[in-house]
Formats: sequence, C-alpha cells, structure tokens
Amino acid sequence: MPPAMRDKITIHSRAVVPQDAELKGDITIGAGTIVHPKATIFAAAGPIVIGSGCILEEAVILVNRRKEVMRIGDDNLFEVGCRVESPSIGNMNTISARARVHHTVRISSYCFIGAGCLLVPTEDEILEEYTVVYGPSAERRNWSGRGKLQEADLRRKHADYLKEMLPKFNRLRRGDGT
Amino acid sequence: MSASIEYYCPCLAASPHPPPPHLASSSYSFHPLHNLYFCEECDAVRCNRCVLVEVSGYFCPNCLFEVPSASVRAEKNRCARNCFNCPICRNTLSVVASDPEGNEGRMSPIVSNTLGEPPFFLFCNNCRWDSAEIGITFEKPTGLAAQLQKFEDSAPDALEFEHLKEHFEPYLRASSSALPTTTAHSHHHVNPITAAASSALARDVPGVGKYNPLTRSRVGRDKNAGKQEIPDYNSRVEIGTLGALGAGGGDSDVEFMRRLEDMAEVAALEQRWVNSWTASLRSSDLKPLRIPLQVKKSKRCPACRHILIKPEQKSQSTRYKIKLVAANYLPAIHVSLPHAIAAMELMKRSPSLNKSLSSVVDDPSVTGLMPGKTYAFHLAFTNPLYDPIQVRLKKVQPKPMVNTDEDHDKPRRVPFQVSLPTAAIGIAAFAEAWEYEDDEEDMFGLEEDDLDMDAHGGTGKDGRGKTRTVGVIERRANTTVISGEVILTKEARGNVRFNMLVSYTYRSDDPEPPEENEDGTPSRSHAAPKAPEMKNFSFYTVVDLGPVVRREESRSEYDA
Ligand SMILES: [Zn+2]
Ligand SMILES: [Zn+2]
Ligand SMILES: [Zn+2]
Ligand SMILES: [Zn+2]
Repeated sequence: MPPAMRDKITIHSRAVVPQDAELKGDITIGAGTIVHPKATIFAAAGPIVIGSGCILEEAVILVNRRKEVMRIGDDNLFEVGCRVESPSIGNMNTISARARVHHTVRISSYCFIGAGCLLVPTEDEILEEYTVVYGPSAERRNWSGRGKLQEADLRRKHADYLKEMLPKFNRLRRGDGT
Repeated sequence: MSASIEYYCPCLAASPHPPPPHLASSSYSFHPLHNLYFCEECDAVRCNRCVLVEVSGYFCPNCLFEVPSASVRAEKNRCARNCFNCPICRNTLSVVASDPEGNEGRMSPIVSNTLGEPPFFLFCNNCRWDSAEIGITFEKPTGLAAQLQKFEDSAPDALEFEHLKEHFEPYLRASSSALPTTTAHSHHHVNPITAAASSALARDVPGVGKYNPLTRSRVGRDKNAGKQEIPDYNSRVEIGTLGALGAGGGDSDVEFMRRLEDMAEVAALEQRWVNSWTASLRSSDLKPLRIPLQVKKSKRCPACRHILIKPEQKSQSTRYKIKLVAANYLPAIHVSLPHAIAAMELMKRSPSLNKSLSSVVDDPSVTGLMPGKTYAFHLAFTNPLYDPIQVRLKKVQPKPMVNTDEDHDKPRRVPFQVSLPTAAIGIAAFAEAWEYEDDEEDMFGLEEDDLDMDAHGGTGKDGRGKTRTVGVIERRANTTVISGEVILTKEARGNVRFNMLVSYTYRSDDPEPPEENEDGTPSRSHAAPKAPEMKNFSFYTVVDLGPVVRREESRSEYDA
C-alpha cells in the first residue's frame, strides 16, 4: 500500500458525521449523508467522494485502494458491517449487512447486494442497473424496479430520522476546510 | 473438544447392557444427555427413537396461526392466510403496494405516509422477486391465499387429481362399507388428531390389498382384492398434449431446452421439488407457495404411555406443560483431557504460533492421544437434584470377543486400560447460587476415601512407581470433578471409547412417614448420606476420549 495520504476531510454542513467515525485520507461527504459512529472511511490510495443522502451504518468500511477518485453517488444505503471497495457506485443502491464488495466491482444504480454476499470477481466488472445479488452463493437476478419510489421514500424517512436522532447522542465532526 | 460422553438408552437391545462401543452400530444406542427423556413411572431413560410421538397441534410458522386440525386437510397442509414462500429463494414474501403512477422520473419530492396504491403484489426482500413478474396481483391486500387458491386449483395436475378422485369415489365408498375397516392398532390415551392421522394411514386401501410380505406373492391371484369391476378411467387431457398447454413435459421441454439462452431460465431442482406436483422446468412458471404448516409434538413413554413432553398449546409459547427431560434427573458429565487443554493454552499464549491456532486445534498430534502413553482425563459431574447424590463408577470390561475369524493372530488384547475411582463420589445438591455462600465448608469437606490411590484395573503395567492421579480433584457448587487415567498400549489405534456404568444414590421423593419434619430445604437437613429412603439408579454411558494418533500414518487415517 502506498504511503497514507494526508487527511483532508470535507463535510457538507448538512451531513451528519459523528466524531466517533473514523475518517482517513482525502474524503468529501455530501449534503444529508449520515455516517454512524464506528463507521470507517479510508481513502488509502486515492480520494473518496460521497454524494448526498447516503447512509453508512455502524462498522461499515469503505476503502479506496486505487489512485483515482472513488465516487459514491446519492441515496445509497450501506448496512451494518459491510465492506465496500468499489471504485464507483451510482445511486439508490443497497449494500446489505456484512456483504463484501471487492475493488474489481463497479456498481451502477438500483443494485441490491444481499446480506453476507461476497462479491469478489478476479476481473473487473460492472453491475448493471437493478442487479440483485442474493443468497449464500451470491446468485444474481434482475429486479423489476417495482416499488422503487416507495423504497426511495423510505430511505429518505430513514435518513431524516437519523439526522434528528444521531446528533442528540453524538458529538458531530466538522470538516477541516471551514 | 474431541472428548465426549453419551448416555445409553436400552430401547434397541434385548439386554440391559450396552453394545461394545467399538461397533459402529453402537452409536445408535447412545445419545447426548440433552436429547434424552426420563419416565418417572418406569424409572427409565427414554430416547427419541423409542418415545411415541403425537401431533398436539398444527400452526403456521410465519403468522403463528393455530390451524384447527379439521381444516388442515382442506387447506392442504399449508397456511391459508397471507403467508407465502418466494419461489426463487424461499424467503417469506411480503405484501406490498404499487408505486403511484405518473412521476416515474426522479423520486417524488413529497414525503407522504400513503405512497402506495393498489394493485398489491407479493415481494421478496431477499432476492427482489415480485409476483407481478408472473402476472399475479391483488386488488386487496388481504385474503391472498384464497385468491391464489384458484390458481392452485385450476392447475392441470390438480384438476386431473380431482377427476381421478371423482372416478374412484363411488367404488371406494362401496368397498369400504363392504369390508369392515380393521382398526389396526388399539390406541389408548391417544389424542384425536393422532388417532385420525394414524387410522388414515393404517386404513386398508380397497383393491390394493393389504401390504403383507407373506401374502404379497399371492396378491396377483387374490380374486377378492379386485373383484369389483372398475370402469376405465379417461384422463381429462391427453398426456401428449399436456406439454402444449404449458404444463411441461415431453417435446415442449426439449424445445425449451434447445432455445435456452440463460441458465436462470431453468428452475433449479430446489425450486421445483417443494411443489406437490411435477413442476414445469421454466423458472418463469414458478409460483409463490403457501407456507407449509408445522406441528407441535408431544411425546409419551413407550412402556407406560405417560406423557414425557407436552408443549403449551399456543403457538407463540415456547414453554412446556410437561417436560420430563433426563437432564433433570441424571448427573451431567463433562469429559476433558487436561493435556489437550494445556496444549491449547500454550498455543494461545505464544503469539508467534497464534496465527495458526485454528489449524492447531484441528491437528490431532497436539491434542490427540499417542500410543504407548498414559493420559489423565477429567470427568466433571454436575448434580441436577435438590439433594446431594453419591456416584459410583465402573468401567465395563469389554467381553472377550467371540472372534469369527478364529483368532488368527495373537489373542486380541485390549488396546488400552482405563482406571476410574472406585469409591463413592459425593456431589452436592443443586441450589440457587446464593445458597452456597456460607454452606460451602460443611457441605463439601473432602472425604478421606475420595482420594483413592489404589485404582481399579490392577494390571500393574506401569512399574514406574508414578503416583496415580485417580480420584476427586475438585468440588465446587454442585459439580465434582474426578480424574481417571488411560494407559494406551503401543498397538492402540482408533478412538479410545469405553463404556462406563454410572450408579448414583439419591434421596427418594416418595412420601415418607411423618417423623421427619420436612422443611423447604431438605437437602440441608440430610447432609449425611445415611437418610433412610435412599434409592439407586444406574445408567450406562460411552466415554470417547478421542482418536489415537499414530505418527506415521496419522494423516491418511484421519481424513478417511
Ligand atoms: Zn430409547
Ligand atoms: Zn401463516
Ligand atoms: Zn426470493
Ligand atoms: Zn414409562
């Protein structure tokens, strides 16, 4: 691993990032994104840019092992204990609890990685929109997309609730740019 | 971890003695303590192989509805409410509403409570399958099973079966009234659900002839069985045309396979065999399945028919009305090998070896037994009774085997010698933790006879003058740990397994002459084991100390 990058952390004023979250390297966190305490964002080799409305739950680990920017879109949900190293992630994806996504996988949008699924292909690949990975052997399906508006609505309520509750019990961290 | 102990249930044997433990078949007679029951009436251990099992109620594992036994058959053993399994991954499906029409683009800016609208469909949270994919939607989110029932009932195979039943119905009715149905077994004290189920199973099927291996060869000639003429049955659909109707089978399947582009188009075997009927090969034909019902079971003693296990009727409850488990009667025994534990501790402490700890645990050369060596083993007895007990142990000497192959080598030697304490071992009563605080001394004073140096066995093999470590080594609360010793010969191989007879005396609970003033804590008033009404109970166990590791050939033997 190359020498660790200097910390440069930019947090949007409407993002919620507790001091207990571990941030290392060059990181940008967008509006309305919620990071739980004990989540780890590690920009090891290149910067990480997280869009708006994402939720990173406890013990989530995001790692960028590549030189180029790891770009994460909007409204993605990273559930408890998942570990994601994808160089790019679109919008409205769900990475379920304890799933692991290797740096060879790029995720487009509306994808769903099931609980505990291991996604570690040896060659680079892109998950098409609406891909569902599920089950112990990480089988794949395509989601019809039915119900996605309700899901987006639920995601938004989830984020709104956390935005209200997390600051009551955690000291928030501010970006160092301000 | 490799050492274990199991308890014997004599139900499979004619004699009360257990089979020699080196026979592979003996494993069927031995059970972990937590799987055994105890009949107070017969004063005997019972296992899952010998108890009588009865259905005490049906329920849906998803919605926990208790299904009256009368409707179980009509509902075809599946939940008739809103419970379905995903046809793809068998997760439980949930009923969801459709997204509002129109604003397909970006998500709606209004956060409202009632975003969904009809039609409703079934949705799998695990694989994101939904029933709209196969064209199943509902106007109302309730009573879905009834709405789906029409799909089930209109399937060609279901219709065919109904047709068949109709065809044979008059014949069955006629012959069952002619033949007096033999109620095969007389069930006393059996609940109506079980009685109905077992009599349905035992009922003679007219025309089929009773299954009886002795008369089977004559069935063909038995004119009685098929006397009545049955008109020919005409199937609803021709077998050949069934495939064309989309029900699968025959040419249409071949054609389908020929045009196959994606493996996912074929329904996997796991997805198909949960169906009652032969299902189509196409995954697009898979339908949501109503969740199969489950039963709560009660268990009876096979000898006296007293109930040993009776669950509470309510499906939400995990409690039992009656629960006579052996663990409440027999002392629990835990076997350990101190040398293996010490080796493991050492591994844990040295950090350089830590990384390979998991492989070390599996490595029999560290924790296993070497031939030609002597090992101590510990047996921890835990008393479940509210009175102290006295335990005696006896190793069952393997009987000189009647070798069919005429002892061609030397006379077979026992590959190991086991020494166990011969004196009675006292184990304190079970009690709530706080009761121990000040009673400890007078209850657990080490008795002199416990340390029993002259252990049983007397082979005098170890002339090294080492003091044997056979006896009681620890007492705490209601647990007493004793140490035994095993001497392996040079030729030892396989697992070190031996049968051990455990006898214990306990104070009987039977009503006694009122001269004793019984308090709430009888255990304290009778610290001395000379109480008048002592009873004795014995049971056999098999102790497995794990495999003997032979250095040269260890690997191959292990993996086999
Ligand atoms: Zn039994
Ligand atoms: Zn149900
Ligand atoms: Zn599913
Ligand atoms: Zn009985």
